[in-house]
Amino acid sequence: MTASITASAVRPAVVRRRTAARRWLSRIPYAVLAIYAAVAVAGPLLVDYNPIQTDLANRLLKPGAHLSSGGTAWLGTDGLGRDIFAQLVYGARTSVLIGVSTVVVSAVVGTAIGVTAGYFRGWLDTVLSRGIDILLAFPAILLAIVIAGSFERSVVVVVGALSATAWISFARVTRGTALSVRERAWVDAARVLGVKRRFILIRHVLPFTAGPVVALATLEFALVVLAEAGLSFLGIGLPPSAVSWGQTIANGKQYLATAWWISGLPGLALSLLIVSIGILGDQLTARFGRGQLR
Amino acid sequence: MTRSPASGKAWRAAVGLALAAALALTGCSTTSGGGGGSGKSEITVAGTYPIQNLDPASPSGGSNTGTQLVAQELFSRLVRVRPDGTVEGDLATEWKANATASEYTFTLRKDVKFSDGSPLTADDVVASFKRLLDLKSTNAANFTDYTMTAPSPDQVVLKATKPDAAILRKLSIFYVIPAKVTGEDPDFFKSPVGSGPFKLEKFDPSGSVALVPNANYYAGVPKLDRVTFRTMPELAARMTALRTGEADLIWGIPDDQLSQVKSDSNLTVETVQSTAVFTMWFNSSEPALRDAKVRRALWQAVDFPTIIKQLYPETGSLADSPVSPVTLGYVKQQPVSYDPTAAKAALTAAGFDFGKKLRLQFANAEFRPFNQAIVSDLQKIGVQVDLLEKEQAVFTKDLLALNWDVNFQQLSNPTYDAANTLGRLYTCKAKRNGYCNPELDKLLAAAAASPDEKERTRLYGEASKIIWSDAVGMFPMAVKYAYAWNKRLTGFTPDPAGLPDLAKVQVSSS
Repeated sequence: MTASITASAVRPAVVRRRTAARRWLSRIPYAVLAIYAAVAVAGPLLVDYNPIQTDLANRLLKPGAHLSSGGTAWLGTDGLGRDIFAQLVYGARTSVLIGVSTVVVSAVVGTAIGVTAGYFRGWLDTVLSRGIDILLAFPAILLAIVIAGSFERSVVVVVGALSATAWISFARVTRGTALSVRERAWVDAARVLGVKRRFILIRHVLPFTAGPVVALATLEFALVVLAEAGLSFLGIGLPPSAVSWGQTIANGKQYLATAWWISGLPGLALSLLIVSIGILGDQLTARFGRGQLR
Repeated sequence: MTRSPASGKAWRAAVGLALAAALALTGCSTTSGGGGGSGKSEITVAGTYPIQNLDPASPSGGSNTGTQLVAQELFSRLVRVRPDGTVEGDLATEWKANATASEYTFTLRKDVKFSDGSPLTADDVVASFKRLLDLKSTNAANFTDYTMTAPSPDQVVLKATKPDAAILRKLSIFYVIPAKVTGEDPDFFKSPVGSGPFKLEKFDPSGSVALVPNANYYAGVPKLDRVTFRTMPELAARMTALRTGEADLIWGIPDDQLSQVKSDSNLTVETVQSTAVFTMWFNSSEPALRDAKVRRALWQAVDFPTIIKQLYPETGSLADSPVSPVTLGYVKQQPVSYDPTAAKAALTAAGFDFGKKLRLQFANAEFRPFNQAIVSDLQKIGVQVDLLEKEQAVFTKDLLALNWDVNFQQLSNPTYDAANTLGRLYTCKAKRNGYCNPELDKLLAAAAASPDEKERTRLYGEASKIIWSDAVGMFPMAVKYAYAWNKRLTGFTPDPAGLPDLAKVQVSSS
């Protein structure tokens, strides 16, 4: 009896503490992403780096070592004496830039196709949906490699190659939303009032895709950043004059046993970014993914 | 809604990928240690260069290092060059030149058989030579319009159109195959018949060649039960393979990794001065690079002594000739001193267009740092360079099509004779780098025609001087090869041409 009283008295406090802890934990991804965004935006303004410039006298320095010019290589230098910290900063900008542009391009294209297919149904929907199914059956990264590999390396090609498959998920999600929203009363009302289909689509259907699209965009962003690093790692992504985590990781491959920091640190930065976005994406999905439609 | 798209799956997969990549990158990947404990004496050789073709006379890549490496195990030659640069007989037991060095008579070894048991006769040698010329491979340019006849079953006579003292060393890239093979015949090279120490067991152009001993080899069956060549363009993969025992022999280890290999008590490491020289031709047919002053200035603008000291402290030394010190025809040239200010001034004076990017092409990731350092130095004086790392086949195609401004190559010379590099690549007729100088052609022809080795060296020296001072290319570095092999291998000699012979290698029982 006594025991059960104590237990019930203790539980709320524990639960309260747990929820508080969980609330704080759930904010970590936001903080991490804020740091990445800040570094990507402000970093290149503060840190000077030229990927073509090599400094052989200072090659393969350990993190924290002193440069012959008097500075300190906080995160070490690579096989050609280039600063790893600067590469991380510039690489963050590249990743964020490529991630955002690819997600924007594929979200716009995917939503347009998805909403059109879902709203108009009929043969248009059949054609578009089957097209999507065919593309889905093809491994996304392979398609990206083929596209990126057959053109000269540039940012535009990478964004294009990654968008070529990334729009599909947006199209699928928004098609589903459009299919269900088009049966709602307000859409019927608008239709009866003689509102043009174009406007129904834009005013009464499109806004309801925003939630799922935002949730999906975060996940796609993570995948795109990873895929870009992969392409650059393989040497078919960005040109050597651009800085990319994938390239830095590739450059450090032969020094894994002797200079772990060249591949290790960008790899860590990449993993942390992707894990954070993943957690954030799950949170957003829980909130907007479908909740709003119910 | 059809299905929740944002199920955790997608990102979990992403995270999984990232972690897997991170794991793989930190070297935790496990590689099964093959090769060793099977009880048989099998060895695995991990090579850098792709073996896409087994036909050493093929016009498409027959002269590639990878092909030559396997060809010398599969086929026999009239003569071959020992690692010390001297000539020894292979199919020929003795040879004799006439007074003007334009006609050579070779006496063939008796009772040599192909791996299928059929006898090797003078007719096979003659037919193989004819085939080599007919296919017009890059190596065939060494013997343009030469003829070979067989006056008796155990003799062949090679007639040169002009006196050619380099013929013996040049013949070390001529392989004998059965007379019935004519033309390209890719089917024959799927299961080739040769008279070398080994015969083919399996060939996969994407990366592995397995050889087994040729029971009919005239000099005794090799002691190894199987030799597998595996192409591993990635250095890290070769190094890991060597340490885990998956590979028994690798070479071309860069300096950064040498200390690591040396510290492994299971491995033997040796460096040997090679026939290779880093050769960076300028495309003289490009308007921007037509002027020798421009080419010289570009050479002057790169701090090669520092680059070599930092990147190749053990296996590199500043080159002082277009050919390596172990090659016949080596004569020291005046080093080009690093002077970016003078270079910039010379370029400006010559009206060089600083706005135009130069295309610097190379293949093989191992040369990336070297080329990046060059690009960096050129950028310091305002010369913009596009560094293009190409896949080997694309590289070769573009190289021959002169589709580049600066071309980086590690040019080795399996014949140990400047005739094969200077004589073959720098003539107007060769059209390999857009450079054409009748005076140089004359010197090269004279060097090839002289039977006296001293005179030849002198003439090649003169030719080198023109090539050097006209900066047909930059010749930054003479290369040493670092070989590392498992201690269980005995009887192995590092080869200066990067073509180690495995016929005498044994595996000590362990």
